[in-house]
Amino acid sequence: MSSRPGGAMNVFNRNMKRKQKTWAATLPDSEKYDYLRDEVGSRVADRIYDIARTFPLALDMGCGKSHIAEHLSKDVVEQMFLTDISDASLRMERQSEMPTHCMMADEEFLPFQENTFDLVVSSLSLHWINDLPGALRQVHRVLKPDGVFVGAMVGGETLYELRCSLQLAELEREGGFAPHISPYTAVTDLGNLLGQAGFNMLTVDVDEIQVHYPGMFEIMSDLQGMGESNCAWNRKPMLHRDTILAAAAIYKEMYGSEDGFVPATFDILFMIGWKPHESQAKPAKRGSATVSFADLAKIRSQTSINTDKSDTS
Amino acid sequence: MTGRNVWSSSRERMRRFPELFARCSAEAAVYGKCVVSTTSGKQELQKDLCLKEFEALKTCFINAAKQRMK
Repeated sequence: MSSRPGGAMNVFNRNMKRKQKTWAATLPDSEKYDYLRDEVGSRVADRIYDIARTFPLALDMGCGKSHIAEHLSKDVVEQMFLTDISDASLRMERQSEMPTHCMMADEEFLPFQENTFDLVVSSLSLHWINDLPGALRQVHRVLKPDGVFVGAMVGGETLYELRCSLQLAELEREGGFAPHISPYTAVTDLGNLLGQAGFNMLTVDVDEIQVHYPGMFEIMSDLQGMGESNCAWNRKPMLHRDTILAAAAIYKEMYGSEDGFVPATFDILFMIGWKPHESQAKPAKRGSATVSFADLAKIRSQTSINTDKSDTS
Repeated sequence: MTGRNVWSSSRERMRRFPELFARCSAEAAVYGKCVVSTTSGKQELQKDLCLKEFEALKTCFINAAKQRMK
C-alpha cells in the first residue's frame, strides 16, 4: 500500500476497476446482473423524493448504466449529468424522463466548477474510491450552497459469508489466508467523513439486503458480472481451484438453508448531507436556553416515580 | 474489451462447477462439517486438518467431471 499526498491511501487499482466494469458492461447478458444496482438505485430515488424540492441541475457520479435517473421524474430533477469511469456502461444508459449528459470521468477527479449542482447522487460506486474524504470534499465543492448529496455505498459487513468461507478454506487447504473481499467503510465512520468534508444536517442509515443464491459459484459469477470483482492492490491475483471447491462446501455447511440456497448479505449505507447555507436551521445561540440542564435530572426522577407507581400497582 | 480474455475463460470453466458440485453434496457436507466444527470446538483449524475429507470431495468432483466428458 503506498500513500498519496495528503495522507490519502492508495488501496484500489482504479485502472483495473475500469477494465472490470467495461468487461461486465459488454457481456451479452449484462442486464442480468443489474438487480442490486436497480434496487439500490430506486431506494436512492426514494430518498430524493423525500426532499420537497425541484432540483434544476443534478449529477450522478459513478452512474453505471444510470440506475437512479430512471426512477426520477422531471418534476424532481430537471437536468442531469451522468459520469462513470467506464464508457461502455455509459453507452448502455437507461431511458429517463429528463435530459441527460454523459461524461466519462473518474469519481476521484470531478471535472466540474465550484457551486455547479443543486443535487449530487451516487449509488454503489463510492466503495471503490481510494480517497473517500477527498471525493466527498469534491462533491461538497461542486454543490451549490444549500445543495444536497444523497449517496449509497456497500460497506459494513457486506459479503461476510463469502469472506469467512474463503478464509476457512484457505486456512485448511493452504495454511494461511489473504484478503479476497475488498475492505469496507464502517457505518460509524461515515458521519465523521461527511462532517469533515463540510456537510451538515447529516442522515446516515443502513439497509441490509440479503440475496439467495443456488451456491457460492453463482455468487462469485454474479459479482464478476456486476463488475464488482476485487481490485485492491494487495489482492491475491489467483484463487486456487482446490480452495474454491473447499470454500463452496464450507459456505453451504455454515450458511446454507434447508431448501438448498445460500444467502449473501449486502449492507447498503445510505448518506445524506447538505452544503451549509444561511437559510438552514442552526443550533440555538449559546445561553439562549430557558430551562437549565441541571433540572433535567428532576424531570427524569419525577417521571420515573410515576412509572414506578404504575409498575407496582 | 470484448472477446476472450482471462475473465471469460475462467468464467467458462466455472460455469460447470455448480452441476458437478451438486453431485458431490454428501462429500461436501462431510468436509464442511469437519472445517466448521473447528469454529466452535477447542480444536484449532490447521492446514490439512480435513485432508481426508477434502480428498474424498475432490475425487468425487473429478469423477463427476470425467463422466460429463464421456
